[in-house]
Amino acid sequence: MSAEPIGGLTSAEDFEAAEAADRRLLERTWKYASGLWGWFTEVDHSRIGKRYIVTALIFFALGGIEALMMRVQLARPANGFLGPDLYNQVFTTHGSTMMFLFAVPIMLGLGVYLVPLMVGTRNLAFPRLNAFSYYVYLIGGLFLYTAFFLNTGPDAGWFAYVPLSGPQFSPGKRVDVWAQMITFTEISALAVAVNLITTIFKQRAPGMSLNRIPLFVWAMLVTSFMVVFAMPAVMLSSLMLALDRLIDTHFFNPAQGGDAILWQHLFWFFGHPEVYIIFIPATGIVSAILAPFTRREVFGYMALVLSLVATGFIGFGLWVHHMFATGLPQLGASFFTAASIMIAIPAGTQIFCWIATLWGGHLRFKTPLLYVLGFIFTFVIGGLTGVMLAAVPLNLQVHDTFFVVAHLHYVLIGGAVFPLLGGLFYWFPKLTGRMLSETWGKVSFWLVFLGFNVTFFPQHILGLEGMPRRVYTYLPETGWGDLNMLSTAGAFILGLGVLVYLLNGIVSLAKGEPAGDDPWGADTLEWSVSSPPPPYNFQALPMVSGRSPRWLWHDQHPVVVGLRSDRREFLITNLLDAEPDHRQVSPGPTVWPFILSLGVGVTFILGIFTPWGLPIGAVPCAVALIAWFWPRGDQGHPLLKEKS
Amino acid sequence: MKRRPTTPVIDVSNLPTTAFGQRDPLWWGVAGVMCIEGTMFALMLASYFYLRGGAHVWPPPGVIHPGLGITTGNLALLLLSILPMHLAAQAAERQDLAKIRLWLVVSTVLFVAFLALRISIMHRLTFRWDSHAYGSLIWTTVGLHTVHVVTGIVENLLFIAVLTRGPVEDKLMDDLRLNSMYWYFVVACWALFYGVFYLDPGLLGTLR
Repeated sequence: MSAEPIGGLTSAEDFEAAEAADRRLLERTWKYASGLWGWFTEVDHSRIGKRYIVTALIFFALGGIEALMMRVQLARPANGFLGPDLYNQVFTTHGSTMMFLFAVPIMLGLGVYLVPLMVGTRNLAFPRLNAFSYYVYLIGGLFLYTAFFLNTGPDAGWFAYVPLSGPQFSPGKRVDVWAQMITFTEISALAVAVNLITTIFKQRAPGMSLNRIPLFVWAMLVTSFMVVFAMPAVMLSSLMLALDRLIDTHFFNPAQGGDAILWQHLFWFFGHPEVYIIFIPATGIVSAILAPFTRREVFGYMALVLSLVATGFIGFGLWVHHMFATGLPQLGASFFTAASIMIAIPAGTQIFCWIATLWGGHLRFKTPLLYVLGFIFTFVIGGLTGVMLAAVPLNLQVHDTFFVVAHLHYVLIGGAVFPLLGGLFYWFPKLTGRMLSETWGKVSFWLVFLGFNVTFFPQHILGLEGMPRRVYTYLPETGWGDLNMLSTAGAFILGLGVLVYLLNGIVSLAKGEPAGDDPWGADTLEWSVSSPPPPYNFQALPMVSGRSPRWLWHDQHPVVVGLRSDRREFLITNLLDAEPDHRQVSPGPTVWPFILSLGVGVTFILGIFTPWGLPIGAVPCAVALIAWFWPRGDQGHPLLKEKS
Repeated sequence: MKRRPTTPVIDVSNLPTTAFGQRDPLWWGVAGVMCIEGTMFALMLASYFYLRGGAHVWPPPGVIHPGLGITTGNLALLLLSILPMHLAAQAAERQDLAKIRLWLVVSTVLFVAFLALRISIMHRLTFRWDSHAYGSLIWTTVGLHTVHVVTGIVENLLFIAVLTRGPVEDKLMDDLRLNSMYWYFVVACWALFYGVFYLDPGLLGTLR
């Protein structure tokens, strides 16, 4: 490839005039859909990514309110704030919300927003599928909360163990609501995963070979593959559960040859990788933040990538450690203990690489870096209790106690929410064009960090003392009242911290300082475009010559020319070395993905009440799909003629 | 004089606008769907063997093989449908619209015949989905697979309609090839299930 400038324009004035004309054309071609109708037809990844993030944050707030309700109930022994039935619904809805409506969608939504910008392309590979995935997710979330407010909230725990969740012990529709909500969110996550994999494999800017992909993008790639192979398990198991409840199949009924433990196998075959589906994107965020805030490339790129991939594989070999209390054969228990301890190797490698990055860097102690430091501290504690829980004897001892609750919140809040809050702070200027207040950012960090540890550290001790999880109260004689009161106080500090963080966002949206293209001096491509980015992302696709492309650019940077601006054209490159391969046309706005999501909604919601939901719902789905895919010849593709 | 902020170094205006196979992003999309559904079917098989391993008698009493001839014949029909689908894909590479239509019609006829025979097999079964866990597994798996076959039929009909009415965009040719690729997957899944379900030694023991 020659480094010589090509094209006939020589003087800067000529060039500027041509570029302005080209920009106007691009803006017309890639115009966002507008108005209310536009909301239902949008296919732009940055707009849909933002919707994912905002929607997931609303569910985060709802899940947080439920958490506070539980903490109020548990603050004193024999408390009467929530009755046992409502408590069951609240803890189940809290867990389901945080896992399925907050953690996974916000991580994937961040990927939807950032991946095309980071790899240097104009939109995701399948923009309409992306729109569909968002609506399905939204319908699933609204469905859960509608049911919750109608006193039909699921109440069998976020993993809905049979036989408790089966037809015999959970009559009514509560568990069905849970099972269908799962299916909605899994469809959404699977669609995003395939979209991200394809975009990362086929649409990277020329020069971005596999060994130059930003670490955040690597994290999203590994996560997407885990979604593809893990989520089918929970779709299948929740289908089986729904069938057991609706048409009397016997998958989980031991009296008729079924097996209740089969549920646990299928669920945790999904459920354990799920933890990494939430955690791995967070590691990507950590790496993305560390580079600009230590002013150096992240140490150990290859080791970090291999650790991500190793975590992806090993993550599928651990699920049985959730089932040690089910009476497994000893050999199986030993195998899964070893596998569970093994995952500490890639996790440890990552931590050491980040510490090495910090060690040699010029640190800038801004809010995003504080969250990363908070993450390293908290996640290491959560990881240590994880290694403890991998050992069968200790696991059996603390099974179903608050020790497990403490552990899982240390790894999920410490391991995923801290980096996420740091990451949203870091990318807020790109998303909105405005800076967040640094002062209030620091205040929120200290409140969140202290509140979190005050809430969850005492729960380790409560668990070791035998306090069971998921029981709505305890007696004064247990002596657990003081630590529970401390934990509840911590929860309110944590809640206040999150509130400060969210208010900071809302106020800064209106009054924050203008951010400019690149307020942090960062290395990745998303910072080379305006904030917020234009609908076509890059006027000319960038060309990449290293892992930190923007730090290698001097006053001129190399770009690709020759993509047409009069239709939505984007560049396909090859998998390994990202060499230009061919051009394709990206589909424009359409309402059909939204209609299809409604069809899917009708199918699943009717499916709770009657098996005829499937054939009835199939009709609108088929109509929407046909209308979606029917070629209209209006996207600028060359047309073929019949051969005579 | 101000300097240009960017240096054009690659000109892509001469690159083609379509590509076949794994060069096309859609290939990755379809491959992703195959991975997702393949995982789901694999877990269905895992569940089958898990329940089989825990059962005292397998299959449960009263279950009788629906007939080796009819089930094998039905599989043969499905395997045969690979041929016209393959020829349709080859015609798509040559952009030969008439030939594509012809082979799509032939394969659709085979799909429908397969489906009809499947319905008659299911009628011969001596159990329902609510008889026992074995019945639940068989009926659910067949049901999920049938959804795929019906989708295949609808897709073929749609392709035939698009090819007849137009407009036929050049990218449709790769869509057609991917349609065939997906069909091979649907056939392969059933070949596997046929082996596991109808050649199960326990079930073969009930043949008269």
